[in-house]
Amino acid sequence: MPELRTESRSVWDDQDETVPPDSWGRGASRGRSLPWGFALVVVLLVVGRFTLASRLTSPALQTWATVFVAICVQALPFLVFGVTLSAAITAFVPASFWTRALPRRPAAAVPVAGVAGAVLPGCECASVPVASGLMARGVTPAAALAFLLASPAINPVVLVATAVAFPGQPMMVVSRFGASLTVAVLVGWLWLRYGRSEWLRIPARPHGDGRKLARFGEAMRHDLLHAGGFLIVGGLAAATLNVLVPREWLTTIAGVPWLAVPVMALLAVLLSICSEADAFVAASMTAFSPTAKLAFLVVGPMVDLKLIALQAGTFGRAFTVRFVPLTFALAVLVSVLFGLLGFLGRPPL
Amino acid sequence: MNRATQNLVLPLLGCAVLRISAFSATYLNYVKPGFRPFLVATGVVLVILGVTGLIQASRPGKPSPEEGNGHAQAGSGDGQDMHHAHSEGPDEGTAGEEHGYEGHRHEGHRHEGHRHEGHGHDHSRGPRVAWLLCLPIFAIFLIAPPSLGSFAAARSDTPPPRDQTLTAFTPLTGEGPTDMPISEFIGRAWDDDKKSLTDRRVRLTGFVVPSRRKGQWYVTRMQIACCAADAFPLKVAVKGLKAPPEDTWVEVTGTWIPQTFGKMPNGVVYPELAGTDLVKVATPDEPYE
Repeated sequence: MPELRTESRSVWDDQDETVPPDSWGRGASRGRSLPWGFALVVVLLVVGRFTLASRLTSPALQTWATVFVAICVQALPFLVFGVTLSAAITAFVPASFWTRALPRRPAAAVPVAGVAGAVLPGCECASVPVASGLMARGVTPAAALAFLLASPAINPVVLVATAVAFPGQPMMVVSRFGASLTVAVLVGWLWLRYGRSEWLRIPARPHGDGRKLARFGEAMRHDLLHAGGFLIVGGLAAATLNVLVPREWLTTIAGVPWLAVPVMALLAVLLSICSEADAFVAASMTAFSPTAKLAFLVVGPMVDLKLIALQAGTFGRAFTVRFVPLTFALAVLVSVLFGLLGFLGRPPL
Repeated sequence: MNRATQNLVLPLLGCAVLRISAFSATYLNYVKPGFRPFLVATGVVLVILGVTGLIQASRPGKPSPEEGNGHAQAGSGDGQDMHHAHSEGPDEGTAGEEHGYEGHRHEGHRHEGHRHEGHGHDHSRGPRVAWLLCLPIFAIFLIAPPSLGSFAAARSDTPPPRDQTLTAFTPLTGEGPTDMPISEFIGRAWDDDKKSLTDRRVRLTGFVVPSRRKGQWYVTRMQIACCAADAFPLKVAVKGLKAPPEDTWVEVTGTWIPQTFGKMPNGVVYPELAGTDLVKVATPDEPYE
C-alpha cells in the first residue's frame, strides 16, 4: 500500500501545488480540462492488477486492508445519507424554516437541537455534514453542534442496538441517552458562552440562482469529496491501530479501576467504531466496569479518529483543537458522574 | 483534483461499491448481510452523481450554480477557447475580465464561489484530500481483502461475550451429527445447565488456527456486530485430529469434552471438542457469524 500512497501524493503535487500561469487557465476551460489524475489512477489500477495484485498477500497487510475497507464500506452509506440530507437542507428547506422551528434565544435552541438529534437515524458520519448544512442555513453554531454530538448517540437505532447488546440492563440504555444528551447540551452552551466565531469555519454553500436540483447535486458532490476524503483519513488511522494494538493489553488494564474509565474512553477514540455497533463491542469487554463501558458508549459517537478528521476537514483545525478536547473531557466526566450516581446498579468504578 | 476527475472518481468509487455488493457477495467479508441494499443504493447514488456532474459540466451555456453569473457572460468554455486561439487582438477590456475569471476558476474549480463571498478559508486541502477516495478503490481492486482469518483471530485473545439471550437451550434431537454455529456450541458448553451437548455428535464449520499447546488446534469463526473492525474470534479447541494447514476452512465432527473444573478459571479458556471426522470445505459466502 505505501507505494500506492506515494503515487497518489505525487499526483496532488502535479495538480495543485503550483499555481499555473494565467495563460494555462485560458486553455484549461470547463469541459476541456482533461482528467489526467483520473487517467493515472486507471493506469495504476490496470498495471497494479497485473503486477502488484499477486504480491499483496501478506496476512498482516490483508487483515489491515480488510479492516480498512470494512470501515469505509460500513461508513460510506451513512456518509452518503448524511450528505444527501445536508444537501436537501441547503437546497430545499428555506432558511426561514429554521428560525421558526428553533427557539429564538440561542440558549434555548441548544437543548432543543440536542433533543432533535434523536430523530436522525444514523451514525456519526452522517451528522457532521448535516450539522454543517444547518450552520450554513443560519442555525446558531452552538445548536448545530449540540445536534452534531447528540444525534449519533441518542437516535432510536443506536438505543435499540444498545438494548440488544445489554440485555436485562435497561439502565445502560437510559444512562447512555441521559449522559450523551447532557454532554451535547453542555458543550453547546459552553460554545455559546465562550466560543468565538473565528474558530469555527462555517462551510460555505453554493448560493447562486441555479436550479434547485443542480444545486442539490453540486452540494452533494462537494460534501462527498471533502467529507469522504477525511473519512478515509480516519479509516486509515483506525484500521492501523486496530491491527497494531493487541487487545490482551486491555484486559490487564481493566483490573485497575481508576485507569479503566480513561482507557475505555481512549479506546473509543482510537477504534472509531460506528455508533450503531459500539454497544456490542462495549458489551464484549466483560472485564470492564459498567461505568467504563458507559464512558466508551458516550465518548465513541462524539469523539473518534474518523470524526476528528471529518470535523477538521469540515469546520477547520482551529475549531477541532478546541472542540475535541472539550467534548472528550465532558463526556468522561459526565459518564463517571452517571456511574457515581448509581444509575448502573453495581458500585461504581 | 480537477472537475472532470472529481466527476470520474465518484462513479469509480460507486463501481467499486457495486462490485462488492451488487455483483458479488464480497461485501460479506466486511459487513453484515443486511447491509447489502444500503451498499447498492450508495453505489448507484455515487454513479449518478458523477454522471450528472459530467453532463452538467459538458453542457455549454448552463453554468453550474456556484460559478454564478460571471459564467453566463463569459459564454461556454469551448467558445472561449476558440476566441483565444484565433483572435489576435480582442477588446482589451473583455480580455482582462475573462483573464481574471479564468485564473480564478483554475485555482480551485469548485471553490471560487466561496472566495468571492469572502469566507476566506483555505479550501486548497479539500480537493486534495479527495484523492484519498482512491485508496479504497485500490484496496478493493488490487488487494481484494479476504475475510478475516487466523492472523486476526490469533491477535485478539479476549474471551467472547456470553450470548445472554440464549440461556434457554432447546434440547438437541435427531440422529447423526448436528450442525451448529460455533457461538451456539460455546454457549451450550459454558452456560447450559442441562448439559445438552453431552455425548452428542456435532459438526462445526470454521477455519483453522494453530494453537500454542501441543495436540490441539482451533476451529474458529469470527463474529461481527456491525463490520469487520469489531470482529472477535470464537474458538473451539479440537483434539485428536491432525491440524490442517492454517486458514483452511473445515467441517469438524466430534463430541464435546466436558470441562473438569467447577468454576471458570482465570484467563482465556476454550471449550474442547474430541474430533472424529474432518472435511475440507470451500470458504463460505458468509464467513462471519
